[in-house]
Amino acid sequence: MTATRPSSDPAGLGPESVVEVAESAGQVQRPPAELRYADELARLRAADNAERPPGWVLSVQAARRFVVGDSKLGISRKFVGDPSLIERALITLATSRGLMLVGEPGTAKSLLSELLAAAVSGDSTLTIQGGAATTEDQIRYSWNYALLVADGPSPRSLVPAPLLRGMAEGRTVRFEEITRCPLEVQDCLLSPLSDRVLAIPELTGPESMVFARDGFSIIATANTRDRGVNDMSSALKRRFNFETVFPIADFTTELALVEAEASALLRRSGVTAEPRRDVLEVLVTTFRELRTGETARGDSMDRLSAVMSTAEAVSVAHAVGLRGWFLRGEPGTAEDLVSCLAGTAAKDNPEDLAKLRRYLAQQVTWRSGEQWQALHNARHLLPG
Amino acid sequence: MTVTFIGVRHHSPACARLVAATIDALRPAYVLIEGPADLNERIGELLLGHELPVAVFSSYRDGERRHGSWAPFCAYSPEWVALTHGRAVGAELKFIDLPAWHPAFAGLSNRYADAELRYADVMQRLCGSFGVDNVDVLWDHLFEIAADDELAERLAVYFDLVRGESAAGESDTAREAYMAQWVRAAAAEAGERPVVVVTGGFHRPALVSAPAAAGDSAAAGWPEVPTLPPDAVGGSFLVPYSFRRLDAFDGYQSGMPSPGYYQELWESGPQAAARHLTESVAGRLRERKQPVSTADLIAARVTAEGLAAVRGHRHPARTDVLDGLASALVSEALDVPLPWAARGTLRTGSHPVVVEMVAALSGTRVGRLHPDTPAPPLVHHVNAELERLGLDGPDDLELDLTVAADRARSQVLHRVRVLAVPGFRRDSGPATGLDPVLKERWTLRPSPERLTTFIEAGAYGATLADACAAVLAERATRAGRDVDLLAGVLFDAALSGTADVSEQTLTAIETTVAAAADLGALGRMLAVVLTMWRHDRILGTAHSATLAVVIVAAVRRILWLAEGVQGRSAAADLGRIGALAACRDALRYGRPQLSLDLTAALEVAARLAADGDAPPDLRGAAFGLRWALQPPPPAGDPPESASAPLEFEGDAPESVGASLESAGAPLDSVSAAAAVREAESGLGRPDPMRAVRGAFHPESAGDWLAGLFALAREEVLHTPAVIGLLDELLSGMAADDFLVAVPGLRQAFEFFPPREREIIAGRLLERRGLGGTGRGLLRGVTDPELVAAGMLLDDRVDAVLRREGLTGGNA
Repeated sequence: MTATRPSSDPAGLGPESVVEVAESAGQVQRPPAELRYADELARLRAADNAERPPGWVLSVQAARRFVVGDSKLGISRKFVGDPSLIERALITLATSRGLMLVGEPGTAKSLLSELLAAAVSGDSTLTIQGGAATTEDQIRYSWNYALLVADGPSPRSLVPAPLLRGMAEGRTVRFEEITRCPLEVQDCLLSPLSDRVLAIPELTGPESMVFARDGFSIIATANTRDRGVNDMSSALKRRFNFETVFPIADFTTELALVEAEASALLRRSGVTAEPRRDVLEVLVTTFRELRTGETARGDSMDRLSAVMSTAEAVSVAHAVGLRGWFLRGEPGTAEDLVSCLAGTAAKDNPEDLAKLRRYLAQQVTWRSGEQWQALHNARHLLPG
Repeated sequence: MTVTFIGVRHHSPACARLVAATIDALRPAYVLIEGPADLNERIGELLLGHELPVAVFSSYRDGERRHGSWAPFCAYSPEWVALTHGRAVGAELKFIDLPAWHPAFAGLSNRYADAELRYADVMQRLCGSFGVDNVDVLWDHLFEIAADDELAERLAVYFDLVRGESAAGESDTAREAYMAQWVRAAAAEAGERPVVVVTGGFHRPALVSAPAAAGDSAAAGWPEVPTLPPDAVGGSFLVPYSFRRLDAFDGYQSGMPSPGYYQELWESGPQAAARHLTESVAGRLRERKQPVSTADLIAARVTAEGLAAVRGHRHPARTDVLDGLASALVSEALDVPLPWAARGTLRTGSHPVVVEMVAALSGTRVGRLHPDTPAPPLVHHVNAELERLGLDGPDDLELDLTVAADRARSQVLHRVRVLAVPGFRRDSGPATGLDPVLKERWTLRPSPERLTTFIEAGAYGATLADACAAVLAERATRAGRDVDLLAGVLFDAALSGTADVSEQTLTAIETTVAAAADLGALGRMLAVVLTMWRHDRILGTAHSATLAVVIVAAVRRILWLAEGVQGRSAAADLGRIGALAACRDALRYGRPQLSLDLTAALEVAARLAADGDAPPDLRGAAFGLRWALQPPPPAGDPPESASAPLEFEGDAPESVGASLESAGAPLDSVSAAAAVREAESGLGRPDPMRAVRGAFHPESAGDWLAGLFALAREEVLHTPAVIGLLDELLSGMAADDFLVAVPGLRQAFEFFPPREREIIAGRLLERRGLGGTGRGLLRGVTDPELVAAGMLLDDRVDAVLRREGLTGGNA
């Protein structure tokens, strides 16, 4: 569940053409969801006999199955979380409100938004990546200046951005990290969301108003860590339904996921030793406790300010395996874990390092298990 | 002979409807119900016409086990419907399960908890294959919202599936074997007439197959109802119940949640229930001035309908409505997941809108017993007890807690007070475990509400002591993170003579301590609890196991919290110094019995003392902790210091009252053990000279010393070298630095009682070879204004001399 962000489609080419170009070059690192799961989508479409909301490529039930999985149709489970979250999200997309996915970093918000867009519109590439430098041009439309100078404003010289295309074509628009955009830039979503229309004042006649077609909706994601959702105007908040995506609640599910992902990464890195299950258990428990600020026994602690997501746990498990294999030719141990935690979890933050040290010194001793003892004994390996 | 088995989920309206329809149609001769068989003689009591919910409360106590449990009934309980409809068609009603005190129920406080939840794997698989969040959602989906046709068959299939995949535990098997005996007997008695059996669905498959397995045993006749073991006391009786308590069961004790919602569903169907839920949530939020616009309500409705359609429900189910409301009304990130997505009670940090939603689901209904119901035994017990001790009339009492008879009366009064019975007021008496008050004054004014309160309290236990213990346990569980509340509970427990508490309560207490955030409050509590644990023979708390648990948890938590305090320039905080002092005493006096980890504590102290980012008072205190528990080698200083501590009266500052305990410390055993462990831990011995020298910065020296003196006053007093060093460092301070340091230093030396200050003064005089007594020296500086005026004059003379170039030769 690594939350890799697919790049948007700056050339304005359709998804197929992106892949064609890339295939000619030899490799696509990560095709969009609708291509990765093209056969699953096709199977769902074939078996789909429920009614579809206007403009959707799948019915709500089929879209739900695409995300949460369905063993009968051979649909894989792509998102680990409460099925009710997916249902709420899909229903929101079928209504006139936007869907806002909020949560800690690394909770697979972007993956979920990609999957939803692929299921609803068959296309997850209408993506706006929010950032401090995002302008309205990148959201709505801009101009081909050569044509603009030659012909004046016309539909020909207009370069549509994802929002305009989504409205005109009736598709789902993804807006990643919306709260990293300046407030006034975010607010250009107001009238598309409430009036379902986008004005292009430079044009005249019927072309000056683009009315949204059925199927248009917006999925925004926001991170509760950086800048927070408080930086949204209440007018815009009102037009979104908020869904909080939580880290995986169940220990065994998370452990299984970390084990599977880390083993795959290790194999790709040429490590033949499988990661040790007891070390992974210690790793996942440590991550969960530092993330929630609560130990299994109920002690409350300070949370780390660093992100302790499942994705980070996978990358630490990967690093642990690499250390063990390439330094000593064996699976990673608790000592490797301590060394890797310092770099990945505490990063350059001395306060986090202090918290981590305190955790290893005081909250590890009371547990039974060889690896916990090893972890405690290895606490001196933390730098500083 | 036709036996109809209905496997139900307790508190399910759909099952209740099925039970009603079946009984009305079959008009059976016998209706057998999962319930305590020892209550069969008294089924009439249940049908007097109470306002529901009510519960059968059962208590049990013998030499080693104490147990209290409830069998709650509300209007939509299938068991209740079986009773009322069975009675209406003239059937004979029988409870057929083992009595609540039977060992098969050990650890179960809700008879009507969902048995299948004890087999979590199966349920999880089932939820996974239906793609729903949890069992409750699955249940609504399959039974409450779905149409009623073929309900009986679907229920049977569901429970066969659940049961088929799991082997029942020992206690479930025992109960099923007993219930099967009743079924056989009833079938034999009934002959050709029908029999209806209403039990938890999990037990149904076993009961259905049991008669065949047992063959046609000719030895029919009703099975014997087990009687209480001779040394045990116990009984069952009716008590009023409430939706709030019905909804508060957690974990394995939990049954169907949200009684308020299901009551509505039972009365007026799913559509009305959904509407009512939305209305009451909106109403509650608006009452609390939270904005709920019409647009929001429309959006909520649309979402709920949409979700219902996607999930294949005829009408919006409970979670459809809730999900719709949450989508529309919550417009920010949540801190904890929605409570209906994971089962269990509301978690702290839930969004206020969500809190209101859960409250609306729970409902506020409170049951009331018919006036003819026999009063619960508690009422008789309390009245007898009060009469025996002469406490039943109006009175003004003064009790001396050192007198046994008065102490017994005080205990009873405190128990009554804990039950919040009006008319019993304590005007004065010990307020914390530390004050030397040994007399109590009480005002007793019997009032008419007294009886009602006792009847309500009857739900907590059959005797005053049991009820009081149960109330205190509930308070302890509810304390959350509030250590002061917990301290209050523990002290009330001591006053009321409640010595032992249940495992569950102990866990709750440990959780509270483990989550506590306030070092000062924790320290205060530990000081009190430790004193009660060590000395309190009057209240009988000395070496109580409960307090031992609290001490262990508090020491661990204080060490944890202390290491997290940051702020190198933070002012001294007597609360946290006190916490470390309490910790030291716990380690010193309780370590062998409580098996506290001294090495771990010393390691924390060593890290803390060396941590440049920690506040100076805490660093001083941490160093003091090490010094006190791990004394330095008696090199220059003769061992006289450690072996002959002085006795002092307690007049040190109140906030570190526990530090008084340091007098008369049995250091020998501690130091011996420490010496052994020290080698293992690799910790060096503390070096006070170095530490004092290192910490002596004018702006923080006072705070650091305050910490040190609070924790290692004795050790400082008996190490002349340290006093000499302090003298040297202070004399060497520049006048301006001294002025900066003086308030802190004053505060630090306050930790020494006057007599010890005199000893220090004496040592100083001795060191400088001057005559006079320490007392004289202390008296000499009692007029600070005069001293200040003199210093000012000195400064001025110095300035004049400098200006005129008349300073000494080395200028």
